[in-house]
Amino acid sequence: MGVAFVAHCLLNQNSKVLDGAHCAGVYSPVIDVLRDRGWRIEQMPCPELAFAGLNRFWAVREQYDTAAFRRHCQRLATAVAGAIAARVQQGEEIVLVGVEGSPSMGVTITSSDPERGGRPAWPDGSPELTGGEGIFVEELHAELARRGIAFRAAGETHAIPGHDEAAQRARLESALEGRDA
Amino acid sequence: MPDERSYRVALVADRYVNPGPGQFDGLAVLAAAGWGAMQLPDDAYPAEVAGPLLAEVAEQAEEFSRRGYTLVLLGERDGLAEALARAGVAVPGRIAPASAAELSEFLARQPAPTAATAARE
Repeated sequence: MGVAFVAHCLLNQNSKVLDGAHCAGVYSPVIDVLRDRGWRIEQMPCPELAFAGLNRFWAVREQYDTAAFRRHCQRLATAVAGAIAARVQQGEEIVLVGVEGSPSMGVTITSSDPERGGRPAWPDGSPELTGGEGIFVEELHAELARRGIAFRAAGETHAIPGHDEAAQRARLESALEGRDA
Repeated sequence: MPDERSYRVALVADRYVNPGPGQFDGLAVLAAAGWGAMQLPDDAYPAEVAGPLLAEVAEQAEEFSRRGYTLVLLGERDGLAEALARAGVAVPGRIAPASAAELSEFLARQPAPTAATAARE
């Protein structure tokens, strides 16, 4: 057991970009796994919410990859890393639970389209998913590395084509148990 | 797929998210009632850890408030009122429920969010 630092939207789907909320509020499929396994839950801030607001457009990583957004994410990462460091000092294990496909919260899958910009119109199913971390996760990773803090990570996969709740649960359980998925 | 958000967000003391023995699970009540949660820092965190986290909670609460989402506060947290004030947000309607039933009744009494009305029009 340990402490799971979870993406903001897993407890609050109201923070999602418009048309992105999968449920009314708490995304239970992830929370239930953490509860079942006896992990403590701590919610991280949503990097996009306070920066670009609730009425923000859907965006890919390149659109957020600016100096200003990086500074914003570094500020958030410093705040979260302070909490993580306090838990590590207590001997807790740490797992980060992000959101696959997110430009800021992706753990192994983020979104990318170097050409995207201008009037926001593009076809559904644009091939924007790509391997890699989102910008906030990247900054938090760097901050924790600077502090010498090890962690494991998993991602919620609701927005990924072929999403399978059982597979998502298995990957999360693997991260909690320190096994490779 | 339609957006399923509720436009309802509770600022939630840590003990309702991570209940101790004999305490009830506030997060489960919020989930069942369709509310989102913004978790407040654990009371055990020192001010230098909790302060920056509270500042982020307050900035996000300001965005929800300005956009017409309904906000409530479950429990309390030292420093929250000051952080909200710095973000220009009043402390929302508050309860420190002793039971799941009390929390459910409180949530059911809350007014409809103006953002939801606007979204339907």
